[in-house]
Amino acid sequence: MRDAYLVGAGQSDYGAFPEESYRSLFRTAFEAATESVPNGIDGEEIDEAFVGHLGVGGRQLGLSGPAVTEHVGLGGVPCTRVENACAASGFAVRQAVQAVKSGMADVVLAGGFEVMSDTSSDATKYWLGVSGETEWERLSGTTFSGVYAQMASVHMERYGTTREQLSRVAVKNHANGAKNPHAQLGFECSLEDAESAPVVADPLNLYHCCPTSDGAACALIVSEDVVEKYTSDPIRIAGVGAGSDNVGLFQRDTYTGVPASQRAGEQAYEMAGVEPDDLDFAEVHDCFAIAELLAYEDLGFCERGEAGDLIESGETELGGGLPVNTSGGLKSKGHPIGATGAGQIVEAFKQLSGKAGDRQVENPTRGLTHNVGGSGGAAVVHVFEKVQEVSA
Amino acid sequence: MTAITGVGAYAPRFRITAEAFEEAWGQFHAAGISEKAVPAADEDALTMGYEAATRALEAAAVAPSSVDWLAFASSRPPAAEEDLTARLGAMLALDESTTRQLFTGSTRAGTRALWACTDAIGADATAGLVVAADAPKGDPDDGVDHAAGAGAAAFVLERDGPAEIVDRAEYATPYPGTRFRNTGEDETQGLGVTQYDRAAFTETIGGAVDGLETEPDPDAVAIQAPDGKLPYRAAGAAGVGTDEIQAAAMVHELGDLGAASVPVSLASALADGYESILAVAHGSGAGADALMVDADGAVPAQTALEGDATLSYAEYLRQRGVVTTGPPSGGGAYVSVPSWRRSIPQRYRLEAGRCPDCGALSFPPEGACTDCGSLVEYEPVELPGTGTVEAVTTISQGGAPPEFAEQQARTGDYAAAIVALEDEAGTESVSISAMGTDAAPEEFAVGERIETTIRRVYTQEGVTRYGFKVRPAE
Repeated sequence: MRDAYLVGAGQSDYGAFPEESYRSLFRTAFEAATESVPNGIDGEEIDEAFVGHLGVGGRQLGLSGPAVTEHVGLGGVPCTRVENACAASGFAVRQAVQAVKSGMADVVLAGGFEVMSDTSSDATKYWLGVSGETEWERLSGTTFSGVYAQMASVHMERYGTTREQLSRVAVKNHANGAKNPHAQLGFECSLEDAESAPVVADPLNLYHCCPTSDGAACALIVSEDVVEKYTSDPIRIAGVGAGSDNVGLFQRDTYTGVPASQRAGEQAYEMAGVEPDDLDFAEVHDCFAIAELLAYEDLGFCERGEAGDLIESGETELGGGLPVNTSGGLKSKGHPIGATGAGQIVEAFKQLSGKAGDRQVENPTRGLTHNVGGSGGAAVVHVFEKVQEVSA
Repeated sequence: MTAITGVGAYAPRFRITAEAFEEAWGQFHAAGISEKAVPAADEDALTMGYEAATRALEAAAVAPSSVDWLAFASSRPPAAEEDLTARLGAMLALDESTTRQLFTGSTRAGTRALWACTDAIGADATAGLVVAADAPKGDPDDGVDHAAGAGAAAFVLERDGPAEIVDRAEYATPYPGTRFRNTGEDETQGLGVTQYDRAAFTETIGGAVDGLETEPDPDAVAIQAPDGKLPYRAAGAAGVGTDEIQAAAMVHELGDLGAASVPVSLASALADGYESILAVAHGSGAGADALMVDADGAVPAQTALEGDATLSYAEYLRQRGVVTTGPPSGGGAYVSVPSWRRSIPQRYRLEAGRCPDCGALSFPPEGACTDCGSLVEYEPVELPGTGTVEAVTTISQGGAPPEFAEQQARTGDYAAAIVALEDEAGTESVSISAMGTDAAPEEFAVGERIETTIRRVYTQEGVTRYGFKVRPAE
């Protein structure tokens, strides 16, 4: 199979933008992605598009893919909307990689968008948690904060993970997000701030939960046959892995890990021929503080039960051995559901291109992105690698 | 002859004192009530009736499948139109062919149901279940609401047993306006013409007792108690002493129980071992029933009438939904009523499935086995409703799905858990999400033992969905 390369990626700001439509946000991300391609790219060169979108608010539930690609001038290009909850655009990128590797396309756009801030708080509440298991899990009174809090309760009980360790995830990600001009909550927070926030679903407080966001992100994936046309610093998509699981937490084998993430991680490492030690940075799905800690364990950054120690050690801070969520993560950068997975890849692209500004990791060659749908019903992992020469 | 062979009684755990009303209003309009029971936001006459009925069936050791006659009585059934005996029967696992009767319209509905069951057992019914449950409600500044309590009683009636209904009589004569609720209204009211109201009460009670074949000489009297004073004013008319009335009085601690007033008093008198009990119910309109019950020997009874949490007046208004705004409008996540109905065997009776390939339990029993992955037809297994908390959170304001926003406004924080429910043998279990009820959220820690009960889950499109929740094991 052919190799696939990431040649460009860009995003809109994440936040609440009453002046913007879902289409205008997507256009901003699309233009940022095309402009980031070192040697330039023309829309007409795009063969295919995959767009991630959950549909919060219900404004364009059907054909929401073509509704945005047609808006940016890709009329006629085959476009598929990908829905896998919060992992929608991570899976859109995976679809793009498959299209390239299969030989059906040479240049593919993978993106995503979501608008979550323009409905009343009552209406918004109806959309929160819609990707949980509806009949039993939701109707036992939980949205995702509740489900992740349940996971946290067991992790704390079994491994002694503490509320302070959860709060340290927020402190770290806010410190990073403060350095990211696209971040929605781009301010630093102290450990005291993070520990004293109002409780949402015990043990999770407001600082252990990501915000709701508007935003869009796009990535451009090309084949090894054409990559040299677009860049002389190719970034290879070295590994791709994905997994799925029961939608409801109560149906899973474990509450202290996300099996879909474990499967996705193992596959991606195997395809890339690397181990967690080989990574220079990672963007993981920290919709809740406990989710980042579970990701450390699911992705092999530490042993099971040791994520609390890992965050406390400073290893995952910027400047540590494996910086995690240099973008600010979902917590600080924001979480426009359908855009999140592609947005993580924007950070990977920036880090590997040396364009991450104040939050730049020193000379990285390899990074990982990890995007989870719901509480773990779907997960997708990508490993990106800077290469000197395109192997043909 | 018709005999009571099992008794169940239930009152919600919340209490409010007369002092709390005095503090809020400057005075308390319900004489003789020192405190009263308050239904939780997820309780109503149907769920309280379920609580009492499961206890009565267990006390009588009667299998639900052998009950061939069911009555549900309440002056305030949660729906004004729609026969709730279908749902109650399903919650209790009665046979679909069981005769069902709904009694409402006045506080006499409970004894009307006992009356009808006595007739049915006298005809061809063999095991009757009478369930009376009520939670009166009035305007907050009205005596009806000050007195309004909450509770339920249930009786299993068969042809022979320890407590026989040996005599009965009824009496009715028009007294409009003493206590009424017009179609479309939610609050019960009365004109408050004191002497007229007393006349309605004493004349009908006297008339019913006079109609008994034998002049009663009871050692306990279960008499209608709209407040804590009126029952004693009827002592003369009923030809009984006030000590006997006090012996069975529940109004002082539970408040006005409406159609469950006399049934709960009767249940408590039977549970306390009284041998000669006169039950006299009054209903506005007005009418009265008098039933004489002779017990020789103990009547099996299970009662849960104790309170364990006292509310402030503000909490009382919240729990009862007086100061909350109802569910938000919107859309998004949605479970249709037909989908809900398909899950009723699980929601009401915990019907799980056993995988024929690997033997593991699945809940709900649909789709591939979560253990071995085989796509199978499950063997139905009814779980007894006991288990252990596996994972838990406390949902605070803002963390609840909007379906539960109104409930949370009323009850405050609640526990949401994953629990492992065991099978009858206690050897295997299956995990399911469940909301906590009946206890503070912190009582649902990982590893704690729980049991299930049935409560209101949520109301959408005007239809209340009932299903199991969990509470700390007794």
